[in-house]
Amino acid sequence: MFMFDTHVHTCLSPCAELDMHPSALVAAAVRARLDAIAVCDHNSAENVAAVERAGRAAGLAVIPGMEITSAEEVHILGLLPDLESALELQSRIYRALPGRNQEDVFGLQVVANEHAQVLGFNEHLLAGATTLDVDRIVAAIHEAHGLAVASHVDRESFGIIGQLGMIPAGLALDGLEVSHRTPLPAARAAFAPRGEFPLLCASDAHEPRDVGMAATFLLLEEPTLAELRRALASQEGRAILGGGKPMEDLALHILDIAQNSLEAGATEIAIDLLEDPAADRLVIEVRDNGPGMDSKALAQASDPFYTTRTTRKVGLGIPLLSEAARAAGGRLEIESKPGEGSRFKATFRYRHIDRAPVGDIETTLMVLLAGHPDLNIRFRHSLGREVFELDSRDLRAAGIDPTLPEGLALLRETIRRGEAGLPRPAVPPKVL
Amino acid sequence: MTVAEAAQKIRGSIITAVKAATREVRGGYASDLLSDVMGNSSEGDLWVTMQKHVNIVAVAQLKGLAGIVLVNGRRPDEASLVRAEEEHIPIISTDLPAFDVVGILYGQGVRGRRSA
Repeated sequence: MFMFDTHVHTCLSPCAELDMHPSALVAAAVRARLDAIAVCDHNSAENVAAVERAGRAAGLAVIPGMEITSAEEVHILGLLPDLESALELQSRIYRALPGRNQEDVFGLQVVANEHAQVLGFNEHLLAGATTLDVDRIVAAIHEAHGLAVASHVDRESFGIIGQLGMIPAGLALDGLEVSHRTPLPAARAAFAPRGEFPLLCASDAHEPRDVGMAATFLLLEEPTLAELRRALASQEGRAILGGGKPMEDLALHILDIAQNSLEAGATEIAIDLLEDPAADRLVIEVRDNGPGMDSKALAQASDPFYTTRTTRKVGLGIPLLSEAARAAGGRLEIESKPGEGSRFKATFRYRHIDRAPVGDIETTLMVLLAGHPDLNIRFRHSLGREVFELDSRDLRAAGIDPTLPEGLALLRETIRRGEAGLPRPAVPPKVL
Repeated sequence: MTVAEAAQKIRGSIITAVKAATREVRGGYASDLLSDVMGNSSEGDLWVTMQKHVNIVAVAQLKGLAGIVLVNGRRPDEASLVRAEEEHIPIISTDLPAFDVVGILYGQGVRGRRSA
């Protein structure tokens, strides 16, 4: 499983922060446990080379890209196979981009290297619109062998639906990007109810702390554009498993704890998610049969600056979940003994204004079950009086093999149907 | 006032669906966000915009608008021309900017209509 943020800016974008220079961006991406980022500055790819070099040094995959503004003022991401094609597309875009930047009005457009040194300032009006319409931009991206993704379709300004009312018929987009503003289940219902387009979650980060704020989880062989292309087209077993806000969504906190357990050697996990709006209570419980922790390891696990691994993929671990529970009038309890497994129980006040959203359970289950097809994973989600239960043993008994494309599709269908059967509260939980 | 009369007042030329320009203009709406036009325009409105993407015809048809005014000398895309003819949506192209177009139409008694 790989975690991608397919839309980040650098200090080249006039609206981005100066401290978003190539190495700072890469450091932020590594901190957010991302496997890959796509560098998409407005109408330019001039910082891509430096981000690529910084990424190589840090073991982060970097996909060259650009966020192109169409004549209709629609933002479209071009994700490109290599630097050369990005620069080729860039020269085409520059020819169609009128105006010069006014730094005092729009901001600085800093070309920087991977050592945080300023190499110069881009003089094009990168904040402006090209004279190319959306069809021409999608065609130009495809001619450069790239993927065309409509940016932040859930945003009115510069989103394709906001600007053009609907996605133009016949426009050959490879996917739609959903911003952090819209939870994935809502985005699916609104933008791809019949799976018309694959959906990517991305941060659109303009400053380091936002990198990875939203991300997409992908089932790939390696974090490359070629593999992403296969996942968007659901080819050769590659797939989009889901997405969301790794540092916020409770579903992704659950995923993080479960992943930690599995990485530590657990072979059985039981996850309980209890939503009880009437009792103003939300409980997350994760139990594993892993090696367990002694009191010292337990203390370290709760320390935000401590980790035994350098490759944890999801979330920021136990300290962040503990903080999320406390912020919502609850707490996190951990029981663990060496040789006896561990038990994590986080409680929240359901209606507390600071209670984080549950997020997309489908993503959590897809990543766990598709990523660990041989382990025993049991999930139980109750909401009011309804319950959705899923056990990987039952799936195996029914012949559903998530390592095969059909099995993956069946798994997704099973989860979607199960989650859809739970009665969503009519009142948004964040209302006090 | 008809669409054809409006075209004359704003020094524009009707470039599609001339026959449909006898339609009565019952109000006006100005916006370049098509989602906004879909949400807030009313049937019979003359719509003033910069956008020339083919989706403008779909929006005008969906909302039953009287016609579309393209400002600043903008001409519709080829696809928009074809679709507008097919759907009988008159498109007026004028060299005037949107501010002047709206001012002239307002002076002629065309009003925005907030659908309650």
